[in-house]
Amino acid sequence: MSFSYFFKLAAVNLGAVAVGLSLGMLIVYITGADIILAASTLIFAPLSDLYNVAEMFVWFTALMVIAQGIGLGIRAGVWNVGAPGQFLVGSILTMMVWKFLNPFIPPLPLTLLMLVGGAAGGLLWALIPAVIRSKFGGNEIVVTLLLNLVAVSVLWWALDGPIRGRFSAGYPLSDVIPTAYRIPSLIPDSRLSYSLLIALAVAAVFYLLAEKTHFGLQVKSVGLNPTAAKTSGIKVGWTLFKTLLIAGAAAGFAGSLHLMGVLFRMDAGYAETGNDFGYIAIAVAMLGGAHPVGILFSSIFFSYMMIGAQNMQRIIQIPFPLVYAVVGCMLISLTLVQRINRRAV
Amino acid sequence: MLEALLTVEFFITAMALTVRIAPTILFASLGEVISEKAGVVNLGVEGVMLITAFTAFYTSFHTGNPAMGLLVALAIGALIGLVHGFLTVYLGLNQVVVGLGLWLFGLGIPDILYRISFKEVPTVKVFEETPIPFLSEIPFIGPVIFKHNILVYLALMLIPAVYLIINHTRPGLNFVVCGENPKAAHAAGINVLRTRMTAVLIGSVLASLSGAYFTTAFLRSYITNITFGRGFIALAMVYFGNWSPVRLLLPLLLYNFVDSVQLILQTADIGVRYYVLNMIPYLTIIALMPIFARGVRPPAALMKPFKQP
Repeated sequence: MSFSYFFKLAAVNLGAVAVGLSLGMLIVYITGADIILAASTLIFAPLSDLYNVAEMFVWFTALMVIAQGIGLGIRAGVWNVGAPGQFLVGSILTMMVWKFLNPFIPPLPLTLLMLVGGAAGGLLWALIPAVIRSKFGGNEIVVTLLLNLVAVSVLWWALDGPIRGRFSAGYPLSDVIPTAYRIPSLIPDSRLSYSLLIALAVAAVFYLLAEKTHFGLQVKSVGLNPTAAKTSGIKVGWTLFKTLLIAGAAAGFAGSLHLMGVLFRMDAGYAETGNDFGYIAIAVAMLGGAHPVGILFSSIFFSYMMIGAQNMQRIIQIPFPLVYAVVGCMLISLTLVQRINRRAV
Repeated sequence: MLEALLTVEFFITAMALTVRIAPTILFASLGEVISEKAGVVNLGVEGVMLITAFTAFYTSFHTGNPAMGLLVALAIGALIGLVHGFLTVYLGLNQVVVGLGLWLFGLGIPDILYRISFKEVPTVKVFEETPIPFLSEIPFIGPVIFKHNILVYLALMLIPAVYLIINHTRPGLNFVVCGENPKAAHAAGINVLRTRMTAVLIGSVLASLSGAYFTTAFLRSYITNITFGRGFIALAMVYFGNWSPVRLLLPLLLYNFVDSVQLILQTADIGVRYYVLNMIPYLTIIALMPIFARGVRPPAALMKPFKQP
């Protein structure tokens, strides 16, 4: 990737971002809120203090890990819209590993096992769409989406049974994971933990996987032209299968990072957390051009925007769902400007 | 307890509810059949439904007339269809991305508008039941099919209508040719882009009927994410029905029947938790996929943009 190309791509993507943000501001204007205050909150609040900066990197950690998986999928031509469900099931499995094995296994190995549990949970949840897509040629988007709705029910079931807390008093709450099994804090008095560094390591793994391995090459050729890939001897179905599983594992892993580094307990609101991360990560992967390094940058941008939006909700009562409308519009304008760019070249 | 439910009355109630909730998917599925037959997938059906469900609710709340709500929802559906068609047909953008964008847009917008326009939880007037004279008196069939609001009848009548249009009229055959082989269609003098645009427009308008059905006939109040994935189920039904408006009826009724039984059981308190019941319909769909997917063949040029030479 040459520098001029990179800058051109960046400029094009910024155009799409601008369209999305203007739409967001238009909606803010329609709702009758103070638009200047809204814009300045969006721009300055995320950097206003250490807490907000730390929160930004909390979002960054989750969004980036999930988006890496989705990005790999996009390269192969499959759309993993199931990250919210995979995130939930990964978190539930992390919690179960801790709850059922902590009397038998010392903290350090168990912590590692919990992380493995998260990835395994996500992988398991991606297994069904992966089989349906690669064996039966069904639509993975519809299946992954329906499984997100199933995952919410699974969460309620888990909170009512296997992971219900000892002191939950009938509420759907889990126990709090004790300090020894958490990912240690990175900045004191904030929710940011060493998960951030683990996430960066995940990004490095995805970079090597996508750019430096034979598998990465197969993924790319399947995405570019499945027929040609098939004639050159690549097992297309098998490649798609593995790609979806990896994407699921990444989303599940993000779940255990979030549970072990940020929240430490699960409740009914966890479903919403999964939705926010999982759906917005689709746009993150798109804006990052489905490239591991691009996703790194677009994750920073999106987490900045999310903290801005959260502050907008807190300070001037602009509902958070606004980000969904903005993200949706950004997705469309992204494909639009990419098309215009391709014509111009 | 469970035995008490396995009676004829229970079965009739469940079947009647099945038919009553069917339009929430049926309109959208039929519209999507037309759109996909012409080669364009609208993954944003859910988004269209969310937006129009709110529009219909908002309008009928302020006019006190569900028919007005329905009309405005149709207009909005047509507007979205125009935009969607322009992006996917004329500009040839990636249909997956545009669809996902439309869906996320629909996930956000109605929610914001609802929160800023209503402080409490308002209810609206809906289309009342209009039993068909004589026919509704027939045992079993009467209460199941002929004792509903007019939109249910409309949805049921649309099935043969869409079948006839696709298989026996010129515009319908044009849709099919544009979805199977747009180059040949172009060579035969068909305006591929305009034909596809029409199909997308019809699809979006029918999807908006499904959306509006939620708030003008099915429910009296609005809730966040009111469609609950039914737009995506509509997409799955098109696939299960092998792109035939008639064949999709069986999986569609099956799904809605499972959902109806589940909904009735939730209120009956049979000792099974609601979250277990909740996931049964979705799991049914996923389990059915390998069965219904056998021998399914999508239109050859599905999701392939056509460039006017």
